Amino acid sequence: MSSARLHPNYTAVWLWLLALLGVGLAASLLPGGRVVALAVVFATAFVKALLVALNFMHLRFESRVIYAIALAPLVFAAILALALFPDFVWHGPPR
Amino acid sequence: MSLRADARALPGVSGPKLAVWWFLASEIMVFGGLIASYLVFRLGGTGWAESSHHLSMPLAAVNTLVLLSSSYTIVRAWVAAEAGEGRALRLNLALTILGGLVFLGLKAVEYTTEIAAGLTPGAGIFWSFYYTMTGLHGLHVLGGVVVNVVVLATARASLARPHRVELAGLYWHFVDVVWIFLFPMLYLS
Repeated sequence: MSSARLHPNYTAVWLWLLALLGVGLAASLLPGGRVVALAVVFATAFVKALLVALNFMHLRFESRVIYAIALAPLVFAAILALALFPDFVWHGPPR
Repeated sequence: MSLRADARALPGVSGPKLAVWWFLASEIMVFGGLIASYLVFRLGGTGWAESSHHLSMPLAAVNTLVLLSSSYTIVRAWVAAEAGEGRALRLNLALTILGGLVFLGLKAVEYTTEIAAGLTPGAGIFWSFYYTMTGLHGLHVLGGVVVNVVVLATARASLARPHRVELAGLYWHFVDVVWIFLFPMLYLS
């Protein structure tokens, strides 16, 4: 495995992270639709996490075993959340 | 089986790296369960956004900038360790530690301000979640700082075994990823 493949352009990744932080903050401060703002805020957070995991944590170069170890608990956590969703989906928030 | 052969648990994955990823998997479940509970409570309740407005978004934004940048410096430390550049290794590790300390210092300022205003963990469900999630995360930052201090103190050994820096970095990046989600959940929504 070459060194270039092992080490992507970390400076570019870092600058992207800062740019996405700026976009998320701007979206939260701008007047307008709250739903759109929240969608932008969480979309940028998701992309930031992906950038860190794939590049800084080197997941893009890791074996499938490491992917499985990282993804399995995420799936379990998602199932846990979804299993608890029916309460407020059917009853809604208290008034 | 020799000790050297045993150190490689899987093809292409060293034993120590596999151990760190298993540890991170358990941490994902800890924070994942907490975040799942937060989402369920928040989506099923009211008044959370009003409570969130009492938090200092500027301080948290600076902390996010600091943590993202410290992830960058620790990965630069790993590159320096692999290249045998002791000075760059020490500098980047020191910057990473400084980032962690700045994060904890700003969090302490936030806590002090909030508690002085009566916004304690008992002030409501939002505050219970806020202090639990950020407190647990802060303890992880503190743990990461300690690990990085040890790696810095033994920098000479890290030059001979750069994977020590890589493993410390994996944990530090995980702490960063957790904050990437805590920040919008608590401060921006």
